[in-house]
Amino acid sequence: MDQSSQNTYHDKVVIRLIQFSIFWAVAAMLAGVYLSAELVWPWIDFGQFWLSFGRLRPLHTNGIIFGFGVSALMATAFYSVQRTSHTPLFLPKLAWFCCWAWQLLVLLGGLSLLAGYTSAKEYAELEWPFDIVIAVIWVCFGVVFFGTIYNRKIKPIYISNWFYGALIIVIAMLHIVNNLAIPVTLGKSYSLYAGAQDAIVQWWYGHNAVGFLLTGGFLGMLYYFLPKHAERPIWSYRLSIVAFWAFVYSYIWAGPHHLHYSSIPEWVQSLGMVMSVILLAPSWATMINGIMTVSTAWEKLRTDPALKFIVLSLAFYGLATFEGPMMSIRSVNVVSHFTDWTIGHVHSGALGWNAMITYGTFYFMVPRLVGRELFSTQLANIHFWLALAGTMLYIMAMWAAGVSQGLLWLSVDQIGELSFSFKDIMASMTPYYVLRLVAGIIFLLGTVLMGYNLFMTLKGQHAVRVTAPPVNPAYGVS
Amino acid sequence: MGSTLYSYLLLKSLYEPTSAFEELAKSEPGPVAMFFRYSIWLLLLPPCFALIGAANFGWRIGAAEPLMLDMQSLILVSLGYFLVLVFGLFSTALISSWMASTYGADANLGKHVALITIVGEPLAIASIAHLFPDVLVNVLVLIPTMIWSMYLLYKGIPIVLSTPPERGMLMASSLVGWLLVAAVSLLGISMAMWTMGVGPLLGV
Repeated sequence: MDQSSQNTYHDKVVIRLIQFSIFWAVAAMLAGVYLSAELVWPWIDFGQFWLSFGRLRPLHTNGIIFGFGVSALMATAFYSVQRTSHTPLFLPKLAWFCCWAWQLLVLLGGLSLLAGYTSAKEYAELEWPFDIVIAVIWVCFGVVFFGTIYNRKIKPIYISNWFYGALIIVIAMLHIVNNLAIPVTLGKSYSLYAGAQDAIVQWWYGHNAVGFLLTGGFLGMLYYFLPKHAERPIWSYRLSIVAFWAFVYSYIWAGPHHLHYSSIPEWVQSLGMVMSVILLAPSWATMINGIMTVSTAWEKLRTDPALKFIVLSLAFYGLATFEGPMMSIRSVNVVSHFTDWTIGHVHSGALGWNAMITYGTFYFMVPRLVGRELFSTQLANIHFWLALAGTMLYIMAMWAAGVSQGLLWLSVDQIGELSFSFKDIMASMTPYYVLRLVAGIIFLLGTVLMGYNLFMTLKGQHAVRVTAPPVNPAYGVS
Repeated sequence: MGSTLYSYLLLKSLYEPTSAFEELAKSEPGPVAMFFRYSIWLLLLPPCFALIGAANFGWRIGAAEPLMLDMQSLILVSLGYFLVLVFGLFSTALISSWMASTYGADANLGKHVALITIVGEPLAIASIAHLFPDVLVNVLVLIPTMIWSMYLLYKGIPIVLSTPPERGMLMASSLVGWLLVAAVSLLGISMAMWTMGVGPLLGV
């Protein structure tokens, strides 16, 4: 093998992961749209268990988080770690193993959820055999990632790698600890923890899956691809490092805010609330860093439709990271909990932040990976407006539904009895659910357009061979 | 142009917003004059409509019977609504003015007040839906109007503040971020107040 092929980046696996990510995005969003239609017309499960809300809902969430989200994170981590380390992937065959094994896991795991196998822990529904497979693939992901960093030719470890590294380490820790269980049969296990402890461990996992996967991992994406798009360095590198450590330190405590007014100790609830409010500081530090980076690169918007997605994703990131701490305050949470406001909050993050930044990144990466222009800039622009309209309509509908529910759930009459029945309140929500269904269809339509656009861009093309550029000796690893 | 500017903005903003933005770009209005001769009349509309609607029909939130409040409470709520709108206008104009230097769009505060008023004008007019105080009807009327207002924000900033459209797009997105945060704060503050016993009777 000559010197140049030894230095060639492994990008085919990146392209494959992007394709899988888009496939899962469409499939899982379709499940979401179907679920929202079921809330309007409950009979469309046609009496089939596998079409029931209880089985389709975890398929939607797992499909988005593990299928769309993790595939996108693996793709962008593999792409950026090579370029920031000036060296090809460590053990590329293991990277291919991660790619295919992960897709097989999502497929079979999804089918098992439809078949009714579930551990009944939110975002950790998959049963123990799948949990073991996830842990194995995740460790392999870590070996490839950290092995590449170990082999780096440049001394500094760029900030995006810190976030991807935190994603890999913390998710492994959360996943393993939360899923410790006693297996009873191949398809059933019981958690090692009982009662309130189980709830605390579950939401330590649940909230930090949001924190380190849907926030930290995607911040890794932001920190690499935003400066690349803008062709500017990060506005303040120092702020990014401070924000990273503050983020890592404060996020891990925030889980108990999911358990306000439950049987866990009150001081644990208060601690969760206080740390959630503190979390606003590092979250907004990153947002400001992103906004200031892009503010000097406005000329790029003329030629780069993808940058718009990243600009908007920052606005929604700012909203979601403000909304979350506010909803964790107990006097707000007592009304907002168990309402559709929570669903709106999740989707201002998932649609407005995670999906938008991923779309912006894919529009950037795919043409570069195959060395040709994007198939249609106009389609990408249409996608942008569909994504914005879909997200806005979704969160507005859920805000209105949430406020109404908050009032109605808790309304009492003069003798202190609840004024309304659950059934009547749910029936009155139908119009908002129709609006949410329309919003979901608009957003899905945009994603399908992107899938077509990127498919046509990739069609008949091969990955461009890119070799690691030489490193300035002042920064090189001796 | 003097006093005709205000009536020009009021009318043209609705059916020919580009002309209104261009006209505003050429003038240098003061913030106080702009507020008292243009903005305040629009800001008065939503609380007035809400007062009339709620006094006559009561708010329908869904499953509930219409929520009837006594006149004194209604006047207080409407006054609070008006003050929130005034705060919203000035805080957004100040933030817009503060952000402007980052995006090469420096202008006096009066221009920012006028710009935000033009953007909000369709919403103020559409608040006529408050005359029929049903949450769903209001949502159905106000969401499309809000999308139109967002379009006006993206369209207006580059023209009024004389900055390239791409830079204007960045500034408009930052302002959208602020407006979303402000909207969600309003929801959170309302809920916290209900919990503390201000507003509807809740079993908390």
